Amino acid sequence: MDLSSLLNALILGVSIASIWLIAALGLTIIYGTAGVINMAHGELIMLGAYSSYMLQFHLGLPYLLCLPASFVIVALVGLALERGLIRYLYNRPLDTLLATYGVSLVLMQGVRLIFGSDPKYLAVPEIFQSNVMLGSVSLSAFRIVVVAVTALLVIGLWLLFYKTRYGVQVRAVMQNKEMAASFGINAGRIYMLTFALGAGLAGVAGALFGVLAIVLPTMGASYVVQAFLMVVVGGGSLAGSVVASGVTGELQSVFAFFTNDTFARFIIFVLIVIFLRFRPQGLFAQAGARR
Amino acid sequence: MGNLYYNKTAQWAVYVVFFAALGVVPLMVSDSFLLNQFATYGVYGMLALSLSLCWGFGGILNLGQGIAFGLGAYGMAMTMQMQSQTESNPIPPFMLNNSLESLPMLWQPFQSTTLGLILAVAAPTLFCAVFGGIMFRARVSGPFFAIMTLAMLSAFYTIILDRQAYTGGVNGLTPPGSFQFGDFEIDPYSPAAYWVVFGFLMGATFLTKLITQSSFGLVTQAIRDDAERVRFLGYSVAGYETVIYTISGLIAAVAGCCWVMLVQYVSPAQMDVSFSLSIVIWAAIGGRHSLLGSILGAFIIQGAQSYLGDTFLATWLLILGGFFIVVVRFLPNGLASLVEKAFGLFERRDPTSSPAPDGGRPLPAE
Repeated sequence: MDLSSLLNALILGVSIASIWLIAALGLTIIYGTAGVINMAHGELIMLGAYSSYMLQFHLGLPYLLCLPASFVIVALVGLALERGLIRYLYNRPLDTLLATYGVSLVLMQGVRLIFGSDPKYLAVPEIFQSNVMLGSVSLSAFRIVVVAVTALLVIGLWLLFYKTRYGVQVRAVMQNKEMAASFGINAGRIYMLTFALGAGLAGVAGALFGVLAIVLPTMGASYVVQAFLMVVVGGGSLAGSVVASGVTGELQSVFAFFTNDTFARFIIFVLIVIFLRFRPQGLFAQAGARR
Repeated sequence: MGNLYYNKTAQWAVYVVFFAALGVVPLMVSDSFLLNQFATYGVYGMLALSLSLCWGFGGILNLGQGIAFGLGAYGMAMTMQMQSQTESNPIPPFMLNNSLESLPMLWQPFQSTTLGLILAVAAPTLFCAVFGGIMFRARVSGPFFAIMTLAMLSAFYTIILDRQAYTGGVNGLTPPGSFQFGDFEIDPYSPAAYWVVFGFLMGATFLTKLITQSSFGLVTQAIRDDAERVRFLGYSVAGYETVIYTISGLIAAVAGCCWVMLVQYVSPAQMDVSFSLSIVIWAAIGGRHSLLGSILGAFIIQGAQSYLGDTFLATWLLILGGFFIVVVRFLPNGLASLVEKAFGLFERRDPTSSPAPDGGRPLPAE
């Protein structure tokens, strides 16, 4: 093994990390704020992919506009989900896990009924289809788009949580819901908006994943477990998920370089279990977390 | 007091009636394929029972019950596979296809049926004891433990998929012959196979019932309700949790062995996340605080899937998902809690609050 091929693996790792991260972003926000374990997250990603497909196929919307449009559509779905179901279950964390699994079954089968089980494809502009040489690695341009979108979203979320009034309110509710309420913050409204925001982020992820892989009703299931692991390893905070995804992506790429992709995933799963044995609260535990 | 639902004698009476009814099924059913199908429901019942023990009575939501089930199933499939290999042909065909020259170390113990059976049950149980012990001592609990079991399940799923030469990969194992125990050959379509599964289900149910009624079971239920208080009382919470998780894994492993005996097949699909979650659905819909409720939950859901699933092929998952949401939202303790409430209506409200004698109502509890 030589140094340049290891370098290649590291560069590929950034790309893998961005996929792990963008799948986990929405979940991080929902879990970090409301403590809801949203098993339907994978299906929200799937809905994002299908919304992009619909917009592109029926309305001829350019791909780059599909990203924000998917955000809005899936955020609305998330809003409806929160109002109709999740808000009754906030004090029963295990039951939200179960109920959202029911939601995921309904969404998956509903989409299958409407669109059928045959794969759909998303078209991207010509320039994204080419390959870019980074040093000696040839990386598809679209993977760089994924990294860029992920980075933009992380910066945007950081600004939202640390520089706006909404962000202050979210962090107040996270630390102590009753105290925040006594200062006039409507916790229910914060939870609702956060859930919609997290769902919208899943929508963006779906619009991106629809290009990386084919669009299928079952596509969400493969993302949900790894997204959870990123959130749990990170401890439910934004920074935690960024670091966890970064490290995991790089490790997976390096392991895959020595063995193969499937075995690398196995090692990652085992390492995560071992890590959480010693640090169950994750990398960066929430200040004043009540869970 | 006075709700017949909580009357232990009545509960045991219902158990006896329930198993007597299940026991006469082979005498009524002559269609051997139907009998085989009923026997697989017994396996699902065992799985729901094992989850009810660990989740309903121990408060440990285990989304990875497929680990113990799958490992048991693979152990059994390996044993059955080796039964069909002879001196002249000692290596299973799929290994030859993957260019393995000799039988791998992992497979050697399975040449002996007894050793293979012991391993098929002991390996998953040991895994549960070690994994549970490590996790519970680190005080991983609640949703976190659920996610960890999910991660572990995915890890097993991935490794079995990856090591194709040893596990058959995505195709899994399909032992060609039925299981032979000593001189007996257990034909999966015979009443004998049904009796075996029935016997294990009954044994597991009675064992579990005794556990939940023992002082050990009372402590685990206290842990479920408030682990911190139990810890302050001086109990080793991690110890109790590990034991109940391990017993639950043992039952699931036995269920895995029975399953392979019946269907002569195992693949990574048995370790898929969706299968383990469907076990959770059975227990949740039936009522996780009721052993019999969980078993019936498995029967109802799987039975409905087999019979309604053909009619509503496209919408079955939609119906199941919707029903599950409604149960979680409005009936968190499952259908069994309806029975509990119904008996509550008959409750005798005696102002002297002496334990009400059974007022001659021959109503079944649970």
